Amino acid sequence: MATIEVQRQILPILESPNKGARFYNPELPQSEPFVPGHRTCAGCGPSIQYRMTSKAAGDNTILVGPTGCMYVANSSYLCTPYNVPWAHTQIGSSGSFTAGVSAAYEAMIRKGKWQGKFPNIICEAGDGSSSDIALASISGALYRNHDCLIICYDNEQYANTGIQASSRTPYGGMTTFSPPGPEVPEGKKLYPKDLARMMAAGHPHCYVGTASVGYPIDLMNKVRKGLNHKGAAFLMIYTPCQKGFVYETPRSIDLGRLVVECGLYPMWEWSPEKREYDYSFRPASMRPVSEYLKLQGRFGHLHAEHVANLQKFANRQWKMMGIQIPEALLLAEDAKNVTNMAAAAEAQAVAETV
Amino acid sequence: MPVMEATKRMVRINGCVASAQAAKYADVDVIAAYPIRPYTATMMALAQMVANGELDAEYIVADSEHSQLSIAHGAASAGARVFTGSSGVGVQFAYELYSPISGSRMPVQMMIADRTLDPPGDFGSEHTDALSTRDMGWLMGWSCDAQEAFDNHLIAYRIGEDRRVLLPQMVCQDGFFVSHITGDVELPDMGQVREFLPPYKHPYPLDPRHPVSHGPQIMPEQGPPLQLERARAMEESMAVVEQAHEEFAQIFGRKYDPWLEEYKTDDAEVVFFLQGAHAVTAKFAIQHMRERGIKVGMVRLRTIRPYPTEQVRESLSKFKVVGVIETNMALGSVSSGGALYAEAAAALYEADKHPLVMSFMAGMGGEAIVLKEFYWMTEKMIEAQKRGKIEKRTHWVGFEH
Repeated sequence: MATIEVQRQILPILESPNKGARFYNPELPQSEPFVPGHRTCAGCGPSIQYRMTSKAAGDNTILVGPTGCMYVANSSYLCTPYNVPWAHTQIGSSGSFTAGVSAAYEAMIRKGKWQGKFPNIICEAGDGSSSDIALASISGALYRNHDCLIICYDNEQYANTGIQASSRTPYGGMTTFSPPGPEVPEGKKLYPKDLARMMAAGHPHCYVGTASVGYPIDLMNKVRKGLNHKGAAFLMIYTPCQKGFVYETPRSIDLGRLVVECGLYPMWEWSPEKREYDYSFRPASMRPVSEYLKLQGRFGHLHAEHVANLQKFANRQWKMMGIQIPEALLLAEDAKNVTNMAAAAEAQAVAETV
Repeated sequence: MPVMEATKRMVRINGCVASAQAAKYADVDVIAAYPIRPYTATMMALAQMVANGELDAEYIVADSEHSQLSIAHGAASAGARVFTGSSGVGVQFAYELYSPISGSRMPVQMMIADRTLDPPGDFGSEHTDALSTRDMGWLMGWSCDAQEAFDNHLIAYRIGEDRRVLLPQMVCQDGFFVSHITGDVELPDMGQVREFLPPYKHPYPLDPRHPVSHGPQIMPEQGPPLQLERARAMEESMAVVEQAHEEFAQIFGRKYDPWLEEYKTDDAEVVFFLQGAHAVTAKFAIQHMRERGIKVGMVRLRTIRPYPTEQVRESLSKFKVVGVIETNMALGSVSSGGALYAEAAAALYEADKHPLVMSFMAGMGGEAIVLKEFYWMTEKMIEAQKRGKIEKRTHWVGFEH
């Protein structure tokens, strides 16, 4: 059969020392595929991420929006913030609808029905979609290796429906489905599903990574690496939610850094070529989890023992990344020491990593 | 491409393979497959065609029926011609997608080879799987043999992709009675197909050169105008359905009434009203009863969405008794039987003359409706005619004397 070869885009990686962990880059693309005119909350982490992601992708892009905040609060009929084609799909269809768009372009370009370079096809799925209802759908798209990027904008809860626990809600996180009470003082008893690692382990031919809105250049570079990878890619991106986390609105980016500095959001990339994890990203400092928790109302009910449990969880993440854990963080695994550290004087960086 | 060289020829294939052949002739771009009996054979045939290089399409083995329909939705939104299918509980697993697909006006095509719903697991054919989605905005109709299945796929694409319609289509056939029974099928010349079915071009695809937003969130007052548009598209499709069948007859030489097939109805007093494959057996039964002087006929519903209300009223009001053969279940419904009764009775409401209407639960579980059951049902209709009223609305055939 006579077919036309599919031409693909290659996006340049932005220059930045230490993998984009510390510095802002003034040489950002001018393109704004995601423009003002939506109804997201002030300080909305997912929409900050949306702007960075779409800016990194550029104009030859198609966005897929499964049900969630980034559907409901972004798109209002007769008023759209998307400067590129965008389509809603069902919350359980994140991977499958995206796969359909990708497959359509493969066939249409190959059969001469559409002329041009293969578009960037990006799905913006919430963590409820990604880790729960569309898990199989996304796994299917990654497994079959459709050329697309699936993003889990991870605000660690079902926010659009009014703050309910998802598989990504952290231990101790208060939601309307995991409220604290005398019998369940910690609220959420389960630890979050290690979603990004599941995706890397199960689909090793895919580019997989984690990112945070606290590190814009790193985030945008990972988006571009995911798009440049011929085949499927998956990114899980920390995007705080003011409404659900209950924090001061201007601190979204601070939280995006603190969650990494406290070891609660390990930053890594999975290389499909080398078939190994890259843990070389280093935050500016390492801090006890209490630094991150105390800024958020959703953790306000926690007792010292619960904070200590979260420190143990964070220390396991540091260990997993092969980072030596400072003694202060090991001590914080003990509830007694957590009580002592709660004083403001202890609220400071315990180690420099860079 | 080999398919382009194809010239008209007769083949002996079953309904599943006829559907696959139709998808090939329609030169579909994206196929979304997931296995469930009995429709699977269609996807098996398509997989082989792609492997052989007879068809250039993206063949996707989905992770569920829900994903199948989502893939189809995404691919159609991007502007591709899409083919998918399912059976039984698989049709139900994808239920969420039926309204979004028709609401976004994507002419996805879905082949259904009927299968009973669980419980318990039964491979036999009942129409309940597809019929349970009948109000979701999909064009829908049943074929009664492999040739008609092949033809219906092409006709459905033509109707659904028409700019006046832009609606998805369920092209249904009875599991096993059509899907797995071979028949003579005329495969057309590719030139005929090109003449009948122009290349698909959606007016507002997801194309970076002309950005559009599909399916944004709406306020309650913005819903009704959109629902009205979808309802109007379904209503206005009726003229397109008729036009497509006329042109099909001109180009391919096979003429179907788009709505109803009538068999020996000219002087009939009692008639069967049914869909799908059991019409084939019904015709034999009617021939035998005619030899004994019984004035029985048959009206087969070919298209149930859009429902041909006027045509059904005009046709059925000519008779004394109408026996609806359901082959589907609508538990607790108006007749406490199947779904066909209610709509036939409603269509007759405005008629000047009203036949007696009764409902037969026959062919349930995928059992054949045998000749003696047709005789028994005819007797029940004649008894009602003599009595001037029905004994009861619904008879479970085989469970009564």
